[in-house]
Amino acid sequence: MLKTKTAPSLRDVAPKAFASLKLAADEPIAYLENWKRETGGRVIGTFPMNFPVELAHAAGLHPAIVQESQTPITEGRGLLPEFYCSYSRSVADQAATGELDVFDAFVLADHCVQLLGAIDVVRWAKPETPNHFAQFISSMDDPWSAGQVRDKIDALRTELEEVSGAKIHPDSVSRSIALYNTDRELLREIFSARRDRSVRIPASELQALIKSSMVMDIEDHIRLLRALIPSLGELETEKPPVPVHLSGHFCAPVKPELLDTIEDAGVIAVDDDLYHGWRLIATDVPEDEDPFDALAQWYLDRNKSAPCATRVQRNVDWDDYLIDGLQTTGAVGVIVLMAKFCEPLMLYYPELRKALEEREVPVLMIETEHEGVPAESIRTRVEAFVERVSQTRAMPNSNHITAQQEVDNA
Amino acid sequence: MWHTLGVDLGSTTAKAVVVAPDGRPVSSSIVQMGAVSKKGVERAIAAALEDGGLTRGDIVRTVSTGYGRRLVELADRSFTEISCHARGAVAMMPGVRLVIDIGGQDSKAIAIGQDGLLDRFAINDRCASGTGRFFDVLSRALEVEVTDISDLAAATSHEAEVSGMCATFAETEVISLLAQDVAPADISAAVMRSVASRTVGLVAQVRKNTPVVMTGGVAQNASFVAELSRQLDLSIGHLDEPQIAGALGAALIARDDYLSTVPDDERMQTEWDRQRSGSPIESCQDCDGAAGDDRGPVPVTLMPTVTRV
Repeated sequence: MLKTKTAPSLRDVAPKAFASLKLAADEPIAYLENWKRETGGRVIGTFPMNFPVELAHAAGLHPAIVQESQTPITEGRGLLPEFYCSYSRSVADQAATGELDVFDAFVLADHCVQLLGAIDVVRWAKPETPNHFAQFISSMDDPWSAGQVRDKIDALRTELEEVSGAKIHPDSVSRSIALYNTDRELLREIFSARRDRSVRIPASELQALIKSSMVMDIEDHIRLLRALIPSLGELETEKPPVPVHLSGHFCAPVKPELLDTIEDAGVIAVDDDLYHGWRLIATDVPEDEDPFDALAQWYLDRNKSAPCATRVQRNVDWDDYLIDGLQTTGAVGVIVLMAKFCEPLMLYYPELRKALEEREVPVLMIETEHEGVPAESIRTRVEAFVERVSQTRAMPNSNHITAQQEVDNA
Repeated sequence: MWHTLGVDLGSTTAKAVVVAPDGRPVSSSIVQMGAVSKKGVERAIAAALEDGGLTRGDIVRTVSTGYGRRLVELADRSFTEISCHARGAVAMMPGVRLVIDIGGQDSKAIAIGQDGLLDRFAINDRCASGTGRFFDVLSRALEVEVTDISDLAAATSHEAEVSGMCATFAETEVISLLAQDVAPADISAAVMRSVASRTVGLVAQVRKNTPVVMTGGVAQNASFVAELSRQLDLSIGHLDEPQIAGALGAALIARDDYLSTVPDDERMQTEWDRQRSGSPIESCQDCDGAAGDDRGPVPVTLMPTVTRV
């Protein structure tokens, strides 16, 4: 079995650039505190999964997506019940324990009920900190959808101008759009190298690249990616035993150690639709139109680029997107990573599983929690998944005799 | 003559099975351990070899499985208990479509495809409430041997209730019921119902199908099997030695693995000999060809005819 840990990875071929990115991904609050000390700037916390960070950047603020903390949930247990997802419970806990003090304001464009519960805790814990909710419509193709989203962009603009104390000029928005598009393009270049299997990159390292982009100064991030990309050619190109697609896991990143456990058990992720993965970078903001219109269009385009269980759109289907992706990448199975109590994914999963099983695509669902990774259990399930996929793939050669062979043998 | 060995190192027992080239089990052993133990594995292997009149030199391939599969130093390869129980159960009961394995540490529902291969599986996660551990907790609380639980439950006369949400809390519940003077037989039966209901939930994840068989140590608990059968509304097939299903599957996978390395003519000859010997492995004996809810035909493996000169 090929072991990801022993294969050369980004930390080996681009140690300096990767270390900076990994540090920001592992310690987002420390990164932001340091950034504020160095720049004197203000940080605005945004929440997953659809906030147009370009607008906040153009306002002169530093947008950072609030991350799930790795620390155990303590005070948060008394603020949100156990049946809230790990991300919302962690946000509530961070608010209660002062970890979110680095943020000067908060903005939210999604309306997940659990996330709103967490935001309520943030409001309660930090009543002086501006906290704006601009609810983007989740029905993507109603006749009024585009107009409503455009109105929300204007409302956000007004709110951000108030927080920053400066007008947001369209040229500033265009510059921010160009920067973030560049960052997404660089990240997609790395993901494409994994997808066409010209290199092997551990899923946990790709996650660090994405997660750091959610936190870091965007120009620093671009600089580090540009320093890292020339080293991709030094990565291993050996074909993995079982290529799979990682699906699901909205809002919060899968624990890196879980991704390592999965890949050490005999698979390699060649593609994903995770929020801390392809979903974040799949869609660019158009650069050839009014920048505010373009941000609205970006939101409307996102569900087409990477369909999501939290959005409703005729003629756009996550399972079709996934099955088309498998054909493109050659992934032979899907591992669905589901955060416990993530209602949109929980409710959509039966449909996804049915669609995949109808096409005889092996599916393995792994439920994740904030508290720990049951490594041995997960290893056993992934290994069994690999054995199941391998035996199926071996059938044409070892277990089935073709009609012509039977004739020949007779 | 060459043989292959399967070793199943579980959380409480070590099992070893030796199979002959035709896939027939030659010998087996089961060793009780206090905890996962390399010594237990050694004892199980030694006992199986001695029982078969074999030495380690007769073993050409060894596959390990089970919770402690990576601890079996002798093994050439390891496979999960899911694949091995599936393979072993299909060998023990050809045509089986659903395998329920309840061991000391975990429980699994394994759906077998029409082709006799592993199709889907579900395994308990982070919780021991549907496992053999639950019965250990019960026997300790009732101060009886775990092997006596089944007979005890069969003598129930009144209904009691154990929530079954947690093996640890269940012990508290059992003690509480004893304090209320509830009969041990009724408590045992309540625990059977509780574990069975958890198992039904596990089966639902892979979907019910027939024929169904139980493997693992808990399959020897007749009262539990009867309760599970009642809750599933399915007849559960009986295996003489359900505990060795995983080790048998491992030994058969070791056999496949070894055969994949020998020349084609030798492999074909071995398969020919197997078919002529009447070994049930890989074939479908005593099967009505109508297994499964879909009532589709049960496929058999067609082996090439060897032309003899």
